[in-house]
Amino acid sequence: MPYYEENPHQITQADMVVAIPSFNEAEAIGRTAELAARSLTEFFGHLKCVLINCDNHSGDGTKEAFFAAPGEIPKIYLSTPSNLQGKGNNLRNLFEKVRDLQAQATVVIEADIKNLAPYWIKNLGEPLLKGAGYVCPLYVRHKYELTLTSSIIYPLIRCLYGRRVRQPDVGDFGFSGKLVNAFLDLPVWTESVQQFGIDIWMTTIALHSRLPICQSIIGSPKVHRLKDPYAHMSVLFRQIVGTIFDMMDVYADFWKQVKWSKPTALYGTDAHDVETPLPVEVNMEKLHEKFLQGFDKYSDLWQHVYDQTVCPKLQEIRSLGLQHFSFPTQTWARILFDAAVAYHRAEASEKERVLDSLLPLYLGKVLSFVKKTERMSQQQAEEYIENECMIFEENKPYLVKTWD
Amino acid sequence: MPKILVVDDEEHIRLLYSEELKEAGYEVITAENGYKLMERIEDEKPDLVILDIKMVDYNGLDILQDLRNHFYDLPVILSTAYDTFKEDTKSIAADFYVVKSFDLTELKKKIAMALETRLPT
Repeated sequence: MPYYEENPHQITQADMVVAIPSFNEAEAIGRTAELAARSLTEFFGHLKCVLINCDNHSGDGTKEAFFAAPGEIPKIYLSTPSNLQGKGNNLRNLFEKVRDLQAQATVVIEADIKNLAPYWIKNLGEPLLKGAGYVCPLYVRHKYELTLTSSIIYPLIRCLYGRRVRQPDVGDFGFSGKLVNAFLDLPVWTESVQQFGIDIWMTTIALHSRLPICQSIIGSPKVHRLKDPYAHMSVLFRQIVGTIFDMMDVYADFWKQVKWSKPTALYGTDAHDVETPLPVEVNMEKLHEKFLQGFDKYSDLWQHVYDQTVCPKLQEIRSLGLQHFSFPTQTWARILFDAAVAYHRAEASEKERVLDSLLPLYLGKVLSFVKKTERMSQQQAEEYIENECMIFEENKPYLVKTWD
Repeated sequence: MPKILVVDDEEHIRLLYSEELKEAGYEVITAENGYKLMERIEDEKPDLVILDIKMVDYNGLDILQDLRNHFYDLPVILSTAYDTFKEDTKSIAADFYVVKSFDLTELKKKIAMALETRLPT
């Protein structure tokens, strides 16, 4: 893929790269680049390091802010052409540049993290120098943050690929030079992967590669720019869940052989005190309303997509009302497996509708999780999710049987 | 016959686990603490480790970290008298955990699952 490059120091080789993907991040990227440079100097000073901004042709001065950031680490700016956007395209440019530079380790960090600290980059980078192929962070998260991860991504990825990676799609990660060629093979390169499907796409390729995966404990929440959780939800849902389903097609021979799951290595266990997660408000009425709206819109489709036991169960759940609302995990696992199979079999033009019809059911599952875990501590809620994952793993033979 | 290494500083636990697991068809070896454990595992190549968390002079969760770093895919089951250890994030590097009991049904179930776990090579 052609990309625009500014490489004022004419860097042609590096051991360690820190990359910051961006689109119109002029306000935030200077601080992020400064902290990244400080981290590289402090923790990786013995290596040849470079900072890369992989941008989407921002018009707000992102490039200038990146280059103006203080620090002694050389910088490279990459950009997609003006007509090509999305984080996935930024990272594809990065993969190509990392291959050219022959870097052993690359850490990707989002531009708008407000509480980034230099040790985060150390924790994501150092395991790569000790043999890990891929590193995911473990941020402190409130039980009602990352509900898409807790309800779909984590249980599904874990039961498919057999490795317990708790936050496989949080936007920041580290990867070794050994993985770059696997990324550039582009097993799937859809529009969703070019946008926000890229994070789970990378994790899935890493899981398939069988290189050691490490989870790095950050000990802090990740504080972003404030976002409305419902804005763009259907688009993000399509991109992320669609990417998981697309990858299931590519790696079916792999995941069908996986039975149960295994933990990963951990890093950063002793380094820092663990902070308290930020509070998260959930609007249960809105979740319930959106779940109920799904019946008006998708009942007919659900009859086609789901096993004959599912639709009566959904009617039963609907009849419970908000006060007694409960969505059994067994039913949820069956729904996700059936949706994946329906997506696998659907014509290209129908795939989006399969994903859209799953969204209200997901919101129902979130509502159920919130109600079940209302009085639970963070730790108890985590155990609840772990038990849900076991239910997914126990039911996996159903998915294997119905897939072909 | 799968070989299981039991690491526990309480002799009666090592004896109990050894007898019951041998009866269940496993080869069992034991260690009373974490001393030179990595070398021992390198030499004896167990298929699974049952690891006590609270041992005199040794913290099982620290040993678990070392184990995972040296033997990435070696199944490890944490065995403990207290379940407060779950508050420590280090515990997620274990395959499973069991609360110590004279009834080993749960432990045997977890051993079977850990040994059955299959990832393509």
